[in-house]
Amino acid sequence: MGSRAALFLRANPPLFSFRHSANPKSFLLNKRFYTAKSSLEAPDVARLAQTARISLTPKQVEEFAPKIRQVVDWFGQLQAVDLQSIEPAIRADTEGDNLRDDVPGVFDNRDAIIAAVPNYEDTYIKVPKVLNKE
Amino acid sequence: MQEKQQTQLKASPKSESAKFEEVLKNYEAVIGIETHVQLATLTKAFCSCPYNYGAQPNTSICPVCMGLPGALPVLNSKVIECAVKVGLALNCKLSLSSKFDRKQYFYPDLPKGYQISQFDIPIAAGGYIDVDLPVEFGGGHRKFGVTRVDLNRAGVPLLEIVSEPDMRTGIEAAEYAAELQRLVRYLGVSNGNMQEGSLRCDVNISVRPHGQPEFGTKVEIKNLNSFSSMSRAIDYEILRQAQLHSEGEAHQIVQETRLWEEGAQKTVTMRKKEGLADYRYFPEPDLPGVNLSEDYISTIHDSLPELPETKRRRYENLGLNMQDVLFLANDINVAAFFDATIATGADVKLAANWIMGDIAAYLKNEKLSINDIKLTPEELGELIASIKGGTISGKIGKEIADPSEIEKIVDRVIANNPKQLEQYRGGKTRLQGYFAGQVMKESKGKANPALLNKILLEKLNSKP
Repeated sequence: MGSRAALFLRANPPLFSFRHSANPKSFLLNKRFYTAKSSLEAPDVARLAQTARISLTPKQVEEFAPKIRQVVDWFGQLQAVDLQSIEPAIRADTEGDNLRDDVPGVFDNRDAIIAAVPNYEDTYIKVPKVLNKE
Repeated sequence: MQEKQQTQLKASPKSESAKFEEVLKNYEAVIGIETHVQLATLTKAFCSCPYNYGAQPNTSICPVCMGLPGALPVLNSKVIECAVKVGLALNCKLSLSSKFDRKQYFYPDLPKGYQISQFDIPIAAGGYIDVDLPVEFGGGHRKFGVTRVDLNRAGVPLLEIVSEPDMRTGIEAAEYAAELQRLVRYLGVSNGNMQEGSLRCDVNISVRPHGQPEFGTKVEIKNLNSFSSMSRAIDYEILRQAQLHSEGEAHQIVQETRLWEEGAQKTVTMRKKEGLADYRYFPEPDLPGVNLSEDYISTIHDSLPELPETKRRRYENLGLNMQDVLFLANDINVAAFFDATIATGADVKLAANWIMGDIAAYLKNEKLSINDIKLTPEELGELIASIKGGTISGKIGKEIADPSEIEKIVDRVIANNPKQLEQYRGGKTRLQGYFAGQVMKESKGKANPALLNKILLEKLNSKP
């Protein structure tokens, strides 16, 4: 579990949320996420674990809370930087759009992908139950 | 033949519509639709894996679509092209600079645990669509707002089209969706097939007493796989909610997702809303932004075909009645056939009548599309001119579907080709095609092919 938890700290889903994401369908044309000036919420580790489908014992929750808090506080420091006159940068700039043509190409090492699937049955990949967890 | 009128949609039973009228006296329904259009690209959105409907599961996969670590998505340019076409056709304002975002959730078909989608900056927004209601439903013209068009979901590319809450009845909603289907088919961006899920509509409905400014509690309906089920599901749901309102039980209307049950003809609870889902959107770091140049947009704009609405207005101006207009403009191939026919100088009304009458009936019987038939628009134009000029009568122009007449020709052809008959009976069965060709030639191309083949086979295979 220790290694899984370490992975969790580096996982893609963000460990904090900006207040802006409250209403997914409303969009503000001129404001992007990172111009949000709102303060960061304290991490609710139990909820984070649940949204990431990771089981933590109460003891682990207690153990991780200050560590995650540290990371979030660090983002809090970044939030304090005055960016009023700076254009938001979402990612490192790339040259051009990097699009590809709609031309099919078959990946020829499909067997290796399938071989790496932990639970494969009858052309289907079996995955852990992730739906209706609530 | 030519006087016959075609009826495309069935009107709902009188009693139902009366009940409905009554309800609408006191209550107003507010309907908005989210439509997902699966794009007819050859490859997936972010990798070159070919996509074929109905292919074996997990045969068309690669590290990108399987979400393997380190594999990076590269956007299919065709997806952007399709989105721009739809955005322009829906009179939207295009975002010259939009981007992709990650929408986090768990689903068995989502290896990465997130969908690459567009969140706060859709590629197109603020448009509208013009709709003509069918004559059987009283006709009329409607304009419905389109809130946004965005690039939606990884893997097989989807466009999401979100309407304004502008619809008030089932038929308006169904016509909105039917117009979207026509539009994506005209544009060639999707096959728009509802049965195989290439066009999916989620409908949001709330009901409020007339004059109340706030919306009522919103209910979502899924599982609508035809326009008629969409229309009936909505009208059922409006009645259900209005009933609860009128009984003082409005609190029983809860925010939930309901399913349309085709068998029982009613909506049932699928799941209650578990509060607002937290998708934890953030900008996709693996993909550059989507930038559209004015040049690119104007090139696509200039390449757009005549759209359904423009076509209908043009047909109307040709003097055709609404019934004809709606029929002819419904299918882009039928419309192209009609346009090519009148381009030969053929009488507009006669051309419409032939296409909607005899040709449509033939297509229906033979389960063919207008592109499958031998008759060319030029030939139809010539035929109409000959009939009009009195050279031939309308009856002669038609196909021979009388079995005894076809039988006579078949007998004659068999009698005239004893050598081929011997070879056929000796096992060279592909000579059937030769005989069929001879019969067709004798009949000047007018023998009904199905009937011809049936009679021919009987004769060829009967013992001498």
